[in-house]
Amino acid sequence: MTGWRRSSGSRQSGDSASAGAPLAVDRSVSSSTIRLGRVQPQAPGHRTVFCNDREANYLAKYKGNGVSTTKYNVATFLPKGLYEQFRRVANLYFLTISCLSFTPVSPVSPITNVIPLSLVLFVSLVKEAFEDWKRLQNDMTINNSSVDVLQEQRWESIPWKKLQVGDIVRVKQDGFFPADLLLLASTNPDGVCYTETANLDGETNLKIRKALEKTWDYVAPEKASEFKGEIHCEQPNNSLYTFTGNLMLQKQTIPIGPNQILLRGCSLRNTQYIVGAVIFTGHETKVMMNAMNVPSKRSTLERKLDKVIATLFGVLLSMCLIGAIGSAVFVNKKYHYLELWINGDSQQFNPNNRFVVFVLSIFTLITLYSPIIPISLYVSIEMIKFIQSTKFINNDLRMYHSETNTPALARTSNLNEELGQVEYIFSDKTGTLTRNLMEFFKCSIDGEMYGTGVTEIEMGAAKRNGVNIKEKTSSSTAREKGFNFDDARLMHGAWRNEPNPDMCKEFFRCLAICHTVLPEGEESPEKLRYQAASPDEAALVTAAKNFGFFFYRRTPTMVYVRESHVEKMGKVQDVTYEILNVLEFNSTRKRQSVVCRYGDGRLVLYCKGADNVIYERLTSGNDELKKISREQLEQYGEAGLRTLCLAYRDLNPETYESWNEKFIQAKSSLRDRERKLDEVAELIEKDLTLIGCTAIEDKLQEGVPSSIEILSRAGIKIWVLTGDKLETAINIAYACKLINNDMKQFVISSETDAIREVESRDDQVEIAQFIRETVKNELQKCHEEAQSIIHGSTGQKLSLLIDGKCLMYALDPNLRSTLLSLSLSCSSVVCCRVSPLQKAQVTRLVRKGANKITLSIGDGANDVGMIQAAHVGVGISGMEGMQAVMASDFAIAQFRFLTDLLLVHGRWSYLRLCKVVSYFFYKNLTFTLTQFWYNFQTGYSGQRFYDDWFQSLYNVFFTALPVIILGLLDKDVSASLSKKYPQLYKKGIENAFFNWKVVGTLACFSVYQSVIVYNFAIASSTTGLASAGKILGLWDISTAAFTCLVITVNLRLLMMCNTVTRWHSISVIGSILGWFLFIFIYSLVFVNKDLFFRIYISWSYKIGDVFQGTYFTIYVLMSTAYFYLMAILVPIVALLGDFLYQGAQRWFYPHDYQIVQEIHRHEPEAIGAGLLEVGSQLTPEEERRYAFALLPRERSKHTGFAFDSPGYESFFATQQGVTAPQKPWDVIRRASMRHKTKSPRHSQQ
Amino acid sequence: MDHKNSKKPTYSRFSQQELPAWKPILTPGWAIASFITIGTLFIPIGLLALSASDNVVEISDRYDEVCVPDDYSSKAESYIQNPDVKKTCIRTIKVPKKLVAPIFVYYQLENFYQNHRRYVKSRSNKQLRDPKAEDDTHDCFPKSKTKDGKPIVPCGLIAWSLFNDTYKLSTRGKEISINKKGIAWKSDRKAKFGSNVYPKNFQKEGLIGGATLDEQIPLSEQEDLIVWMRTAALPKFRKLYGKIETDIEAHDSIKVEIENNYNTYKFGGRKKLVLSTTTWIGGKNDFVGMAYIGVGGICLFMGINFILLYVFRPRRLGDPSYLSWNRHPIA
Repeated sequence: MTGWRRSSGSRQSGDSASAGAPLAVDRSVSSSTIRLGRVQPQAPGHRTVFCNDREANYLAKYKGNGVSTTKYNVATFLPKGLYEQFRRVANLYFLTISCLSFTPVSPVSPITNVIPLSLVLFVSLVKEAFEDWKRLQNDMTINNSSVDVLQEQRWESIPWKKLQVGDIVRVKQDGFFPADLLLLASTNPDGVCYTETANLDGETNLKIRKALEKTWDYVAPEKASEFKGEIHCEQPNNSLYTFTGNLMLQKQTIPIGPNQILLRGCSLRNTQYIVGAVIFTGHETKVMMNAMNVPSKRSTLERKLDKVIATLFGVLLSMCLIGAIGSAVFVNKKYHYLELWINGDSQQFNPNNRFVVFVLSIFTLITLYSPIIPISLYVSIEMIKFIQSTKFINNDLRMYHSETNTPALARTSNLNEELGQVEYIFSDKTGTLTRNLMEFFKCSIDGEMYGTGVTEIEMGAAKRNGVNIKEKTSSSTAREKGFNFDDARLMHGAWRNEPNPDMCKEFFRCLAICHTVLPEGEESPEKLRYQAASPDEAALVTAAKNFGFFFYRRTPTMVYVRESHVEKMGKVQDVTYEILNVLEFNSTRKRQSVVCRYGDGRLVLYCKGADNVIYERLTSGNDELKKISREQLEQYGEAGLRTLCLAYRDLNPETYESWNEKFIQAKSSLRDRERKLDEVAELIEKDLTLIGCTAIEDKLQEGVPSSIEILSRAGIKIWVLTGDKLETAINIAYACKLINNDMKQFVISSETDAIREVESRDDQVEIAQFIRETVKNELQKCHEEAQSIIHGSTGQKLSLLIDGKCLMYALDPNLRSTLLSLSLSCSSVVCCRVSPLQKAQVTRLVRKGANKITLSIGDGANDVGMIQAAHVGVGISGMEGMQAVMASDFAIAQFRFLTDLLLVHGRWSYLRLCKVVSYFFYKNLTFTLTQFWYNFQTGYSGQRFYDDWFQSLYNVFFTALPVIILGLLDKDVSASLSKKYPQLYKKGIENAFFNWKVVGTLACFSVYQSVIVYNFAIASSTTGLASAGKILGLWDISTAAFTCLVITVNLRLLMMCNTVTRWHSISVIGSILGWFLFIFIYSLVFVNKDLFFRIYISWSYKIGDVFQGTYFTIYVLMSTAYFYLMAILVPIVALLGDFLYQGAQRWFYPHDYQIVQEIHRHEPEAIGAGLLEVGSQLTPEEERRYAFALLPRERSKHTGFAFDSPGYESFFATQQGVTAPQKPWDVIRRASMRHKTKSPRHSQQ
Repeated sequence: MDHKNSKKPTYSRFSQQELPAWKPILTPGWAIASFITIGTLFIPIGLLALSASDNVVEISDRYDEVCVPDDYSSKAESYIQNPDVKKTCIRTIKVPKKLVAPIFVYYQLENFYQNHRRYVKSRSNKQLRDPKAEDDTHDCFPKSKTKDGKPIVPCGLIAWSLFNDTYKLSTRGKEISINKKGIAWKSDRKAKFGSNVYPKNFQKEGLIGGATLDEQIPLSEQEDLIVWMRTAALPKFRKLYGKIETDIEAHDSIKVEIENNYNTYKFGGRKKLVLSTTTWIGGKNDFVGMAYIGVGGICLFMGINFILLYVFRPRRLGDPSYLSWNRHPIA
C-alpha cells in the first residue's frame, strides 16, 4: 500500500520510469455537457487503470471524484456574473445610457441611470449567487458523503471527493455507487448484484450485474488487498449501455462488458455489499457526462415583450428626433442671455453648426428619455415568476399527491405564464394517462354479466348526471395486482349455483389454459408470480386463480391446474392438460388458441381474441346469445374496458389429426412460415362456441377522463403519442373521452392488407414507395373530407389516428403541411407506434409549423425528446424514475394536476404577467412623456423636468412594489371557479390580454394622462400661487407634477386589480407615502450637505445642483392651497378616462371573467374550497351539455380490444433465444431481472 | 406516512393564494355613485376657487414696445444698447377696483428661456453659499471667471442676466413705496445664499447682461438676485419685484416711472408690469376653479349618462348569456 500513502504527496520521479510508459496515450477528454442519447465521439486511445495502486495511477492525472455543478466561484463570480447580465440587451442598453450620462451631453447626472442599473444588477446577482450557493451546498453534500475504501487491509471511510481511479471500494446495500466501478465481488453467490438505475434512466426494475468469475473471491478486505489487476478500457464517454475493456489479471486478459460495470448514481439493492474498482471518477463518470443542461426556454410572452420593447425604442428614437430637430432649429444667437456663440468643450449649442447640435441633441435626449424602457421590468418579472413558482406552484396543496408524497415542482420559473397559453397538449399514454396496470374487472359468461365495479369513466358520467358514486370497497373484494373483481355470484365457488355452471367451468378453464404465461416461484397461490408478455394475459390467469383454477406449472407439453371442483366440494384437485398446439397471437390474427387434451381424452380448442375475429368464426345458431354478448361488449367498450371474447370448440380426434399434419408441415416450412401457420390456424379455428367475454380495465390514472374533458372545454387540444398499437391507443382514447362515436375518425394505418402484401415481398425500396404513396393519398383524401366537414354546418368534430410508420412518411417535407393542416383541424389526434424521436418531431411540427403553444407531458425516458421539444415540458414525478422529470420544466405527480397547473396557475400567471408588463409600459411611458412635453417649452434644450433622484427612484422605489404585489396576488376568479369555467382559459390561448390592441389602448391612455399631469401641473406656474405672492420656480412645479404622477400611476394600479388585499393597499399607500417621506427628507438634505454625501460630491460636482434645486420645494408647495387642490384634481382627471373606459367596457363588452365574477359576486371564497370536490352543482353550460348528452343517439359501436402491448410478439422469440430488433430505450429492460436466462459473458480461459 | 419525510406543503393562505381580499366590481352602481360624488364635491370647490380668484385684482401693463422712443421704433435693439439714451419711460395705469394691501408688484417676461438647459445649470450653488468656495465656478460656463482668471461671484449666466428694470409708482402725485424685503422664499435666503458671501468681479467686464450688485451687501440680502435665481419653469414667467403695503383706491390712476434697461428686444421677448393682490388661493388664477367646475360637470354628465344607460340599456349583472361560449352556442 505504498501507493496509497504517497498519493497526495508529490510524484516520485523514480516511479514514473516503471509505470509511465503504458500511460502515455491517455486522456484528452473534454467534460463539456451533452444531451442524452447523443454519443460523444470518443477520444482516441484507451485508459489503463492500475487497481489498488494509487501511485501508478497518479501519473495519468485522472480527475478527482469531486464534482462541481456550480456556475461561478468566488473569483469568477463578479466578472462572469456581470458578463451574463450584460448579455441581456436591456441591461446593455442601460449600461450605454449610464455611460452616456457621464458625458457633458447628458442632461441628467449619472446617478439617474447608475443607481437603478446597479440596483437591478445587484438583485440579479444576488439571485444568481443564491442559486449557485444552493448548487454548491448540494455538491458539497454529495462530495462529502462517505464511502469505504480499502486501506491497509481495512475498509476506511473517506469522502467521495477523495476517491481516486484505481481505488478498491466497498458499497453496502441501498448505498449509491460513488463512481463508475468495475464489479469485482459481491456477497451474493455467483458474484451477482442488483442495481437500481432510476436516477439514470428512470427504470425502476432491478438490473443484474455479474462479476467476472476470476474476481469473485475478493470480498474480504484482507483478500481484496491482494488484488492487483490492470484495467485497459475505453476513454470516458456518455454511452450508458456500452462498455469495452479488458482486465489483465495474473497475465490473463479477461474481457469486460457493461455487465460488470456499476455506474455512479445507481444504487445497490438486494445485496449485502459489493467490492469494486474505480474506473471513472467525478465528471468523467457516465452519469455526469450525460448531465443535461435543461435547455433554457423563453416564454412566448417574453418574446412578444421584446417586440414591444423594440417598438418603444422606435418611439424613443422618434421622440429624440423631434427634439433634436427642434433643438437645431431653436439655437440662435439672438438669445443673448444664453451666450450661445461661446462654446466650451461642447458644441452642443453652437448655432453655427446646427448639424452637430442635432446629433448631440439626439444623445442628450436618449439619455433624458431612457426611462421609457422600464429598467426594472425584467428583474421584477423574474422576481414575480420566481415567487410564483417557488411559493405557489411548489406549495399548492391541490397538486400534492399524498400517495406518493409528491408535491408539484416548478423546475424553471421562466414559463409560468406560458402555462396559461397552452393550446396543444402532447401526452404519453403509459404511466401518464394510464397506470399500466391491467385488472380483470368484469366478465360476461353465457350472456350473463358479472362484476360490480364502476370504472372511472362511468363515475365521470354519473357525476355529470349529478350523482356522486363512491367506489365501493367491500371486504369481499379480492384485490390483487391484476384482479379487481367483485361479484358474490362467482367468487368462492358460488358459480356452481349459477344457471349455467358448465359454461362457467369452460370459461375458467379457458382462462387457465389458453395463454402463454410462465409461472415463477413457489407453487402456492400467494407466492407464485406469473411472467407474461402482456399484462392482460397475466390478469386473466390471475383471475382464473381467484376463481379456483390455479395454474401453477407449465412444461413444454403440459399445463398444471389446481381446480376446486363441483363434485368434490371444498377439495382441490390437481389436473393436468396436455397442450397439443399453441396458435400464437399476432397482430393480424388478433386471437390466440390452444389445443389441449383432457385427462379423459377430450380434445378441446380454446380460443380468445378480439370480438370481431371471434364472431366471424362462431358456429351458426344461438343468435340470441351473440346479440346479448355483442351489446355487453359494447357496454364494456363504452366504459373504457378492454375486452376479449372466449370461445371453445370440441374436436374429434380424426379432424384434429388430419389438421395437425398440416400444422406440422407449416411449422417446418422454411419459406413464409408465418403466413402458412396463419392459414393453417384458420382451418381449425372455426365453428367455435362462444363462452363469454372478459373485460379488463387498463387502469387510468385517477381523474384522467374528467381532466381531459375539462382541458378540452378550455380549448386545449390533446394529442396522445404512444408506443402502443393502434387498437390499444384507440381504446385508451375512448376511455379518456378523447374520441367518441360522434366524431369523424380518420385512420391512417400501415396495418392494411395492401401494405402487408407489399411488405411480404420484402423489397425495401418498393415498400417505402408504396407506403409513401398510400400515406399521401390517404392524407389528401382525409384532408379534403375534413375541409368539407369544417365548412359544412354539421359541426362534427374530427379526430385523426395515425401510426408511426405512416407518420414517418407523413412527416416528409412534402406532406408535412397537409398533415399539419389536417391534424390542426382535428380536435384530437392519436399517434401510435411512435418512437421517441417521432414524438419529438410531432411536437416540433406543431410548435414550429403551426406556431401554437405546446405542452408535452410524459413520465419515461422515451418522452424526454418530446418534453424538450415542446414550449412547456411536464414530467410525471413520483412513480418512475427521474429522466423525464430531469428534462422537464414542471413536474407533477398525476395527469389530473395538469388542470390545476394550467387552468389555475397558468391562467393566473398569464393574467398577472400581462398586467405587470402592461403596467410597466404604461407607467414609464407616462413618466417619459411628461418629460417630452416639457422639452417643447425649454427651447428643445433637453432640460430635465424632474430631479435626478426622482427619476432614478421612480422605477425602483415609488412604483416598484405595488406592481410586484399585483403580479403575485391578483386573481380574477378563484381557483375553483377557474376550473368550473375552463372556457376562461381560452383568452390565454388567444393571447387576448397582451396584444397590440391592448398595448395601443394603453399607450393612448398613457398619452392622455401625461398630457393631463403635465399641463395641469404647469398651467398655473406663471401666476403667484402663494398667498404671500411669491412665485414658484421650475423645481417646485416639477415636484408638484411628480407628486401628481406618483399618485396617479399608483392609483391606476389599484384600478387594474381584480382583488385588493391588505398587501395591495399597504404597497400602494406605502408607495405614495414613501414618496412623501422621501421628499420631506430629501428637501431638507441640503442643510446637512456634508453629512452623508461628501464623498459623492467629491466625484460628482453635479450633486450640489440637485440638492439646490429641490431644496425645501415640498414645504414651499405645501404652504400653498394650490398644491392640495392639484394633488386631488390631477389624479382624478387623469384616471377619469380609464374609469370611463373600464365602466363602458364592462357594460357593453364584458370579458368572460367579469361575468363570472358577477355571477359569483355574493359568494365568499371558501378557504380551502379547492381542496374539496366541487359539489354537484351544475353551471348552465353544464346543464345544457348534459341535456345534449341525454338526447337519444346511436349506441357506441366501439368495443375495447385487449391483448396487445408493445413487445408482445418478441416475448416468445426471446424465450427461444431469438433476438428481436431492439429499441434503443429497451436495452436495459432486456438486461433486467426477469430474463435470468441471459448469462453474462464468460472469460476466455 | 412518516410525518418527518412528508413533502406535503404546509398550508398558508399566502401559498394557497387564498388571502382575504376585497373584490371590487365596477358595477354601474359604483360608476354612477363615483361620478355623482365627484361631481357634487368638485363643483362647489371649483366655485369657491373661482370666487377667490375673482376677488383678486390684477392689473398688468406691457411696456416693452411702448417704452421705445418713436425714433428708435425700428431699431429697438440699438436703443436698448445705447448707454447715452435716457431709458426712463412713464406709464399710467388705471385701477379698476380697489387694491387692498398687500399689493404685489411683479415683472413678467415672455419668450425668455430661463429653463434652457444651458441657462439652468450655469450657476454654482456652492459658491453662492460658501465664501471659501468662490473658485467653485466650473458649472458657470460661460460666465465663470474674468479674463485675468478671477472668479466672478455670483458666477454663471443666471446671475449675469439679472433683470434690471426698475419701477417707481406714484398716485395722486404721491410716491407709493415698494418694499423690496421679503420677496424671496425664506428657505432660499437662509440656506442657498450665504450671509457672508459678497459679490465680486460681477458685471465688471465684457458685455453687461443685466443688473449690477452692491458689493457691500451679502448675497443673502440681495433679494432681487435670489428671486431671479429661482429659475422659472416656463419661458413666460413672473417674478416678484416688491410689495406695496398701502391700499390703492379704485379708479385711481397710477403713474409708473420705468427704467427700461433690460434687453428683451434682441430675442423678441415681452415685458410686463403686474400689480396684483392675493387671496388664499394666491394670485389671479381662474384655471383651478374652472378645472374643478369642468371636471365636476363632466362627472355629473357622465353620471347622468350612466343612469340613462342603466334605464335604457340594462344588463343584468352576471347574466350567463354574455359568456362568450354561450354567445356562440356549440353546434
